[in-house]
Amino acid sequence: MTAVDLPDNARQQWPFQPRYARVNLWRMHYVDEGAGDPVVLLHGNPTWGFLYRDFVAPLTQAGHRVIIPDMIGFGLSEKPTREQHHSLDGHIANLTALLRGLDLQRVTLVCHDWGGPTGLGFAFSNLPRVRALVLMSTWGWPLPPAEFHTRIFPWRTMHAPLIGPYLLGRHNALAGRGIYLSVVDRRRFASRAMSAYEAVLPDPASRLLTWVWPRWIPLDDTARALQRFVWLEQQLRASSLPALLIWGREDDIFDPAIFATRFKQLLPQAEGPHLVTGRHFLQEDSGPEIADHIIDFLRRLA
Amino acid sequence: MTDVGIIPMPSLDGMRLAFVLAEDRIGHDPEFRAFFTRRFDLGRVGLSRPGCLRAPSGTAYALIFIGRSGEAFPSGVEIHAIVPALEPLDEARTDCDLWAILRWIVEGVGGIWTVDALEATGRLFRIPSAMRPA
Repeated sequence: MTAVDLPDNARQQWPFQPRYARVNLWRMHYVDEGAGDPVVLLHGNPTWGFLYRDFVAPLTQAGHRVIIPDMIGFGLSEKPTREQHHSLDGHIANLTALLRGLDLQRVTLVCHDWGGPTGLGFAFSNLPRVRALVLMSTWGWPLPPAEFHTRIFPWRTMHAPLIGPYLLGRHNALAGRGIYLSVVDRRRFASRAMSAYEAVLPDPASRLLTWVWPRWIPLDDTARALQRFVWLEQQLRASSLPALLIWGREDDIFDPAIFATRFKQLLPQAEGPHLVTGRHFLQEDSGPEIADHIIDFLRRLA
Repeated sequence: MTDVGIIPMPSLDGMRLAFVLAEDRIGHDPEFRAFFTRRFDLGRVGLSRPGCLRAPSGTAYALIFIGRSGEAFPSGVEIHAIVPALEPLDEARTDCDLWAILRWIVEGVGGIWTVDALEATGRLFRIPSAMRPA
C-alpha cells in the first residue's frame, strides 16, 4: 500500500510527500513538512496520519515542522502479520527509533488514543528532546479502565478470541463503521474520510493491529502492560512538561469528565481541557479548531 | 441453537485444507481456551489430531490447535475448511459458516459471553451473516 493507492478523495486531502524510515526492523511511513520546532502528531487504533490532514497547513504556516508517523501496523507503514509482533514497549521503541533517527529536539508530542501511551513512553525516556505534550482522548495509567472497555457488548466481544479476527479482520469493522460510530458528523465523515481509513487496511491480514491493540488495554492487574502503565503514571505525576488537554465533549469512550480530569490531576500545570465538538475521533469533527489551540499554546510557550 | 457439531475428521482424499481464520492468542479470554480444551479433550489429545466441526452448509472445518513454548496449550487455533482439492471457496457460504461456528463457540463458552451480545455486535457492525434471521 502506498499513497498512490489511496482513493481519489483521500489522495486529494493527503498531498504530502511520503517518506519511509527503517525503525526497529520495520518500514515506517511518515510525512515531514515545514520548518521550525517539531510537532509530532501521533494517531492510534485504527487510524493513520490521515487523521491529522487538517493540521498540516496551519501548523506549518505558524512556523512549525510537522511530523506524522504511521504506527507500524497501520496506514502506509509495514504491517506485521503475527499478534506476537506487537507490544506496547515495541511500539514505543518504533517511535523512538524514528524520532532519534531524525534527531528531533524541542519536540511537542500530540497524542491521541494509543498515540498516548506510545508518545508518553517516548517522552519520558527521551526527556531532553521533549518540549511539551498535547493530550486528546487517551490515557496513561494502569487502572481503572474506561467503563466502555469493560463492556461485553460491544467492546470485549468485538476483539474476543476468533471473533476479533472475524469481525475486525475479515470484515474491517473497526476502520470503517467503528470510526463512523465515534464521530459526531457521520454524514461528513462517510463522504470525506471513511474510505481513506478502510483503504489502507485492504486485507484481513493487514488489519491485525485493529484487534490486537484492544487486547493491550489493562482491565485488571493481570494485564501484560500493567507495569509499563504504572511507570507512565509515575512519570506523568513527576512531570513538569508544559501540557495542553483537548477533548471531544461528546467523547463516550474516554469520558472527558473522567479522563481529562485525571490528566489534570497528574499534570496540574496542564492547560484545559479545551472541549471541542467530537467523539473519540475528535480530529474528524474539529481538526482546524484543535490545530488553532495547539498553535496558540505553542505561541505562548515560545 | 447453532447448526454446528463436532464430527470425526473426514478423509482428506481429493480434498484440501483451506485456511480461513486464525487466532494467535486464544487465551486472551481464558474461558475460550478452557472451552476448546473441554470440547476437544485437548488435555488428552494434545497436538495429535485436529478437532473437526460440521457447519450449516455441510462443509467440514478442521480446527488445528497451536502450542507455544512457555504458554498454556492451546495458545492459538487455525480454522481450515475441508474442500475439494482444486475448487475455490464460496466466500459468502464460508462467511456464514464461520459466523455459525462463532455462535457455537460463544454458546459453549458461556458465562459472561453470550450469543445475544455476539449477534448484537455483528448487527452493530452490519456483518452480513449477522443481519440474516438466525
